[in-house]
Amino acid sequence: MSYLEYSVKSAPTGLRKFLYFNWPLTLLLIAVASTGFLMLYSVAGGGFDPWSAAQMKRFGLGLVLMFIIGMVPAWFWRNTAGVAYLIALVLLVAVELFGTVGMGAQRWIDLGFMRLQPSELMKITLVMLLASYYDWLPAKRVSHPVWVFVPVLIILVPTVLVLKQPDLGTALLLIASGGVVMFIAGVHWSYFAAVIATGVGLVTAVFKSRGTGWQLLKDYQYKRIDTFLDPSSDPLGAGYHITQSKIALGSGGWTGRGFMQGTQSRLNFLPEKHTDFIFTTLAEEFGFIGGVTLLGLYALILVFCFVSAMSNKDRFSSLMTFGLASTFFFFFAVNMSMVMGLAPVVGVPLPLVSYGGSAMLVLMVGFGLIQSAHVHRPR
Amino acid sequence: MTRTPLRPLARILPARSKGENPDAIERENIRLRHEQMRDKSRMRAEGRLLVLGMFFFCAFVVVGVRMGMLSGSEPSEPRASAAGASILTQRADIVDRHGRILATNFETHSLYAQPQQMIDRERAATGLTEIFPDLNADDLLEDFTGKRKFLWIKKKISPEQKQAVHDLGEPGLLFGPREMRLYPNGSLAAHILGGASFGREGVHAAEVIGVAGIEKFYDKELRDPARGSKPLELSLDLTVQAATERVLYGGMKLMNAKGAAAVLMDVHTGEVVALASLPDFDPNDRPRPPTEGVPSDSPLFNRAVQGVYELGSTFKIFATAQAIELGLVNADTVIDIRGPLKWGRHRIRDFHNYGKELTVSKIIEKSSNIGTARIAQMIGVNRQRDFLGQLGLLETVPLEMIEAQGGRPLLPPNWSEISTMTISYGHGLSVSPLHLAAGYAAIANGGTKVVPTLLKQTGPQYGARVMRPDVAAASRQMLRRVVSEGTASFGDVRGYSVAGKTGTADKPKEMGGGYYKDKVIATFASMFPAEDPKYVLIVTLDEPVETSGDKPRRTAGWTAVPVAAEMIRRVAPLLGLRPEIEPARIAGITLTSN
Repeated sequence: MSYLEYSVKSAPTGLRKFLYFNWPLTLLLIAVASTGFLMLYSVAGGGFDPWSAAQMKRFGLGLVLMFIIGMVPAWFWRNTAGVAYLIALVLLVAVELFGTVGMGAQRWIDLGFMRLQPSELMKITLVMLLASYYDWLPAKRVSHPVWVFVPVLIILVPTVLVLKQPDLGTALLLIASGGVVMFIAGVHWSYFAAVIATGVGLVTAVFKSRGTGWQLLKDYQYKRIDTFLDPSSDPLGAGYHITQSKIALGSGGWTGRGFMQGTQSRLNFLPEKHTDFIFTTLAEEFGFIGGVTLLGLYALILVFCFVSAMSNKDRFSSLMTFGLASTFFFFFAVNMSMVMGLAPVVGVPLPLVSYGGSAMLVLMVGFGLIQSAHVHRPR
Repeated sequence: MTRTPLRPLARILPARSKGENPDAIERENIRLRHEQMRDKSRMRAEGRLLVLGMFFFCAFVVVGVRMGMLSGSEPSEPRASAAGASILTQRADIVDRHGRILATNFETHSLYAQPQQMIDRERAATGLTEIFPDLNADDLLEDFTGKRKFLWIKKKISPEQKQAVHDLGEPGLLFGPREMRLYPNGSLAAHILGGASFGREGVHAAEVIGVAGIEKFYDKELRDPARGSKPLELSLDLTVQAATERVLYGGMKLMNAKGAAAVLMDVHTGEVVALASLPDFDPNDRPRPPTEGVPSDSPLFNRAVQGVYELGSTFKIFATAQAIELGLVNADTVIDIRGPLKWGRHRIRDFHNYGKELTVSKIIEKSSNIGTARIAQMIGVNRQRDFLGQLGLLETVPLEMIEAQGGRPLLPPNWSEISTMTISYGHGLSVSPLHLAAGYAAIANGGTKVVPTLLKQTGPQYGARVMRPDVAAASRQMLRRVVSEGTASFGDVRGYSVAGKTGTADKPKEMGGGYYKDKVIATFASMFPAEDPKYVLIVTLDEPVETSGDKPRRTAGWTAVPVAAEMIRRVAPLLGLRPEIEPARIAGITLTSN
């Protein structure tokens, strides 16, 4: 059922929309973000500077952005999805041409007031475009090869651009969240089986190509894989993060050392303690209980998103909510696995908690879209 | 797929007849079909969602369980700073066959400075020079006030020095634990152990790496963390080694030799029980390799393993043993020894004139070059080379120390018939004393090859058979007679029935062009007890001169043999051998005291 088929009038209008926001979800977001402020405060040795205050400002801005986007009807986003995707794509190409190199990778575009990371933007717009595509596509054509090829192209073009930056983590994230939308949309099983088989083949090829003339990944990426497979092989080099974060988790134990009592993360053992590895601080200071609580908050966010998506009869809204929620899921799942040594270190932040402007704003835009879909769901 | 028709006649006709609108039925059916389709797609979507939900749930569970595992794990707290912590410090001990320590580790401290943390640089510099008089206060102050953030001051300091530096109270002076290799027996078994030095150095540890000897050969194994504290057990016996070195040192001084080597080896297991080379060094403070002079005269040079020499008449027994083995002669075959034996432009002479002919047994006893050369002629080039090869005399000995690689035998460039003749009495082929020990062990143990080893063995390690037991026994009888009646009469040690063969070889000139007239390598290759030998002992003296007589004597019978005899007298009881009265022979017992 598309928005054309239900009575628009039954949706709330004007400022009344404010009452129809997904308030439990909003509260959960605030709770998670507050955990982040707390951790950044602790990491800074008990100060709002340099991270916590800035993060609060960003989150405030993000909340405002979320509400603005949530007020705009979902069908507007459906109609602009293509344009948004194209803009993000152009920005990705632009970053390739004249982006600034940050942390060894070319990922940013300096907009003056903030540094925009087009790959972050792409995570949202990709899901939007795929959702509106499947909204447009008649259900019986979903598994037709030609109509499968189109979304695959939509996913692969930005993925390749992101891979060139190079940012393996985001590239995999794009494929995963795009795949989830296609999966929910009902594309035939066999396509996914084929993709997984190809993926396995590719991974084998990547390992086989190592050291040969046609090496597929950069040396540092191989090194990360090596360290992932055996962190103790290089405890002071590339395996340093993982070893240290494992120690931090272990020293936190079940109940943690207490707020501001963490030694591992605060004594500068971890170079990226305030960004990708902030979870170690939490785990050390609040222990297993703190970690599981954060995990529970994330799970609740997902549950609220999924309930909203399942009860939404509008195909675009439903698919987009699923896609964005999955993106969110992949973010924290990959980050936590990485911190706990279950996945290689790919440089994915912990959503809403890690310090970082671009990621935070983009996430809040995503939740704005989810809110919009929720507010304007057919009744 | 069968579809129910939208306008089934069965329903339309009755409806028409009742005057109802049949379109209503179609609409109704279309609605039903749409509902079916929606249900179907909903079912499918829900199936998909279930799969996705399961996947997400599993991911949550995995992350949660992992978090629990890590939280429950015992945290291994890192050191104050991780730099250098990866350098492995523990190195396994080396012990002798009875578990006595030959090499172990010892904790000292290193001293380093971080000038930026210093409070009073001048006081630190002057304070340090008081503790370490070899340091220069001005240089130190220059280092401390310069741009350097880190500098080593001393790599090893004693506990007293550490306390004194500590008392300076300077936060910029820091200590790092430093494990070093300690050889508690000093220079004992120096050449076997080799030595160790620091490899990679960090503030908190330094890697100890073997630089020579068995320390280098087994460097990886000794450093292997999986090994734990399991020591490396050598075949060496510390007391026997000590006695051997003591006697060898005394003998070298007495005989005015410039160097000496001794190898004592178990003939059944190939275990090297003692191995000495003089002059030696202290592995705790291993000297640097000399930059000038002959490397083979350096204390670092292992004469027993690395040094290859023409070992002279000790080789004769190999020729006779092979000839007996081949059935060419027996111990009583008479050989023409009229000399000089001419071969091309070469002349082979004997030390003394032993008359016209001698039996094979007497040739060994008197050490006749001409007789041996004649026997070698019977054997021929190829058979001799094969036999010496089987004894392991033509390749390096795979002893567990890196120096063994250097002891490669020098073969004649062209193994001609004259080479065969000279090699039969020990000229033209240079091997190390260790090679000779392995060769004699084959005769001693009844005719099988054994490979010398430095590691403790659990039982006999017989290799391929190289001669029949009766040949070995006959050879031993001849060797016994060399001691009891022949050139090695000083070697008779009461109760231990020594058998052996002397060898005195002129030293070849370093620059080539013949041999020195007054420089020899004197060797005594022996085994004991002669009836059923347990050990072989090789003693080699480099340039010995015995001057107690009217004129200087250099032959092995006067130099190497008495040293070896004294050695056997000392070590045989240590080896657990009881003195025995030799079975009386027809020829009678010689009761000479020497």
